[in-house]
Amino acid sequence: MSSMPINAEYRLRAESVTYRYPQNNHGLEQTTLALQPGELVLVTGPSGCGKSTLARCFTGLIPHLYHGDLKGEVWLGALRSVDAPLWQLTERAGMVFQNPAAQMLAVSVEEEIVFGLENLGLPPEAIRERLNATLARFGLTALRDRVPQTLSGGEQQKVALVAMIARQPDILVLDEPLSMLDVTAATELVAYLRNLAREGITVVVCEHRSEYLADIPKLRTIVLDGDAVSVDISDAESPPLAAKPPPFRLEVENLGVRLGGRAILRDLSFSAQGGEVVVVVGRNGVGKTTLLRALAGLQKHAGRISIVGKQPASATKDVRPDLGLVFQNADLQLFNASVRDEILYRISEPDMAWYAYLLQILGLTRYEDVPPLLLSEGEKKRVALATVLMRRPKHGVLLDEPALGQDTVHKTMLMRMARGLAEQGYLVMMTTHDLTLAAQADRLLLLGAEGWVVDGPPAQVMRDPEPWARIGLAVPAWLSLPADESGQL
Amino acid sequence: MKRRNTFAQGRPLALVEDSPLRRVDPRTKLALSLCASLAVMLPLERLLAAMGVYILLLLWARLLPMAARQVWRLKWILLGLFIVDWLLVSHELAVLIVLRLVLLSGTFTLFFATTTPGELRLALEWFHVPYRYAFSVSLAFQSLSLLDEEWRAIYEAQQARGAWRPQPGWRNIMKQVRELIALSVPAVVMTTKRAWAMTEAASARGFDAPHRRPYRRLSMQALDWLLLAATLAFALALLLWR
Repeated sequence: MSSMPINAEYRLRAESVTYRYPQNNHGLEQTTLALQPGELVLVTGPSGCGKSTLARCFTGLIPHLYHGDLKGEVWLGALRSVDAPLWQLTERAGMVFQNPAAQMLAVSVEEEIVFGLENLGLPPEAIRERLNATLARFGLTALRDRVPQTLSGGEQQKVALVAMIARQPDILVLDEPLSMLDVTAATELVAYLRNLAREGITVVVCEHRSEYLADIPKLRTIVLDGDAVSVDISDAESPPLAAKPPPFRLEVENLGVRLGGRAILRDLSFSAQGGEVVVVVGRNGVGKTTLLRALAGLQKHAGRISIVGKQPASATKDVRPDLGLVFQNADLQLFNASVRDEILYRISEPDMAWYAYLLQILGLTRYEDVPPLLLSEGEKKRVALATVLMRRPKHGVLLDEPALGQDTVHKTMLMRMARGLAEQGYLVMMTTHDLTLAAQADRLLLLGAEGWVVDGPPAQVMRDPEPWARIGLAVPAWLSLPADESGQL
Repeated sequence: MKRRNTFAQGRPLALVEDSPLRRVDPRTKLALSLCASLAVMLPLERLLAAMGVYILLLLWARLLPMAARQVWRLKWILLGLFIVDWLLVSHELAVLIVLRLVLLSGTFTLFFATTTPGELRLALEWFHVPYRYAFSVSLAFQSLSLLDEEWRAIYEAQQARGAWRPQPGWRNIMKQVRELIALSVPAVVMTTKRAWAMTEAASARGFDAPHRRPYRRLSMQALDWLLLAATLAFALALLLWR
């Protein structure tokens, strides 16, 4: 790769940059690029291709916090990242991380913003002025004294972004900022980013959900392919499950859950049957996860939940749970030394054909001997799904945000697996913010603060804007709607 | 009692917003807590008198229910110590040891239930603790309340996949210890990841900048001085009285 001429117009230059993490030898393949003021750049690519690594290289966290093998050079203006101290680099380039809750450092929104301003060495009066202006500009004044950890995911993401913007960096790098946001919060965030780019800030967005940015004029897209291996799922056919469930219905009547004195779910009633793929969509914090926990038998609740006349049992009461739950955070469920040990844990006579099928369709075959905790977030989530499916839940699975960290290929594969389970009579129920996934379900339920807003086939629900508006969401224009009964696209 | 909805409402570190101590300077509160803990040196009768004063202080500060909950959480440890001391030494010593522990465990409620991590950091900086350590201590203090919730989340997640099946009874003690691996590995991973995520987030906002200037500074008001004087007088009285 030829060396790039030094040009003062470039805000950021990466010259033949490669990086390897010391733990697993994964990282970033050789990358060269130069970014100018006001550019809005989308960095995309399959899971594990190096998007987060590139973001860390751009902001100096590599090599200052990560001490792997870095080759090539990154320049932030006239500062070379290996030479300049980290604090100086972070004054030029700010990074907003994937998980907003994990980057909250203070006990109020105000303190969260002030922390970064104190580190710039500003006098208290200047901090106060910039704090007030930033809170007002981004509509956060009402949240000023709130504890960040008690905000919704969308609000937390906004606070994390604003805490960084208040420092007025020239370059803003965001690592999967949309992954945890509902469609409205994601659309709003993209609008903010467009405005920042118009103001001259160079904005780099590392993201799987690229469709939210697709209609931005002059968007520069960088596709990383890294050393990610493409997954061939064309030949993966589901072997018959050992014990196909007899037809059944899941009945929920007047389900209510209170947490910390606050009603999370109120008088929720619905039914679903084996053979369905049901998707629940709602705004951040509306109680989707709580609903799945209650259905899995893990959450105390009012009202009645029954499958074939009985309350669903979690796996402690029975080796095979009624409905297996895959948590949003896969780290909670993984602890073994290899993917194989993790999936086969405590299964005395495992069905190895089923095991091989799970590895293949979940794209895990090459990781069989790798410790699961060293995998990427998307890969860990697929291992967690395999651990639950290997136990063959009696009636189906509940998936909490299964699309998180998954690229398009793996989302397709996930839906194919869900469809395969449903065809064999199992119930698959999932929560998601990803409407491309929701569009492929049999039933789509919208959950609002007051309960269900609508329940129907996605083709029908997605064509009616009224129920979406009632819960503060909208079907984005870029979404390809499924065909309705008349075959209309 | 009006509690601020911190990370874990109802946890020991929830902030009691309507306590009169909430607005008191953290340095004064730290002195108050340290002096109150000096009372553990007293013999039984005088210890009881000091505890009476301490209970009145908790009542005034509207912290008595929270301090009582703190002590209740230690009930099994206190009961075990009481029985061991009674059997091996005497019931007087058993009572004395338990009362000292009750006083110690409740004393710091005065501080931690009315002080934010940011105020703790400012107090430590005033005592010339370097900023990076003061900041780390305040972050650790802030994260404590997350541990309980995280542990519960891990327990449920393992239940959901059938990897946590404790077998009751003393005979299965080794099996129970082995079972704990399913909980402890994710707990260590989560704690390490959280610590690392906070390090990254702090570094990305210029944590190590040499020119940092604090936005807020502590300043002692009349009530702070008054309380500090009373605290020092109390400490002196304790030293003379023992």
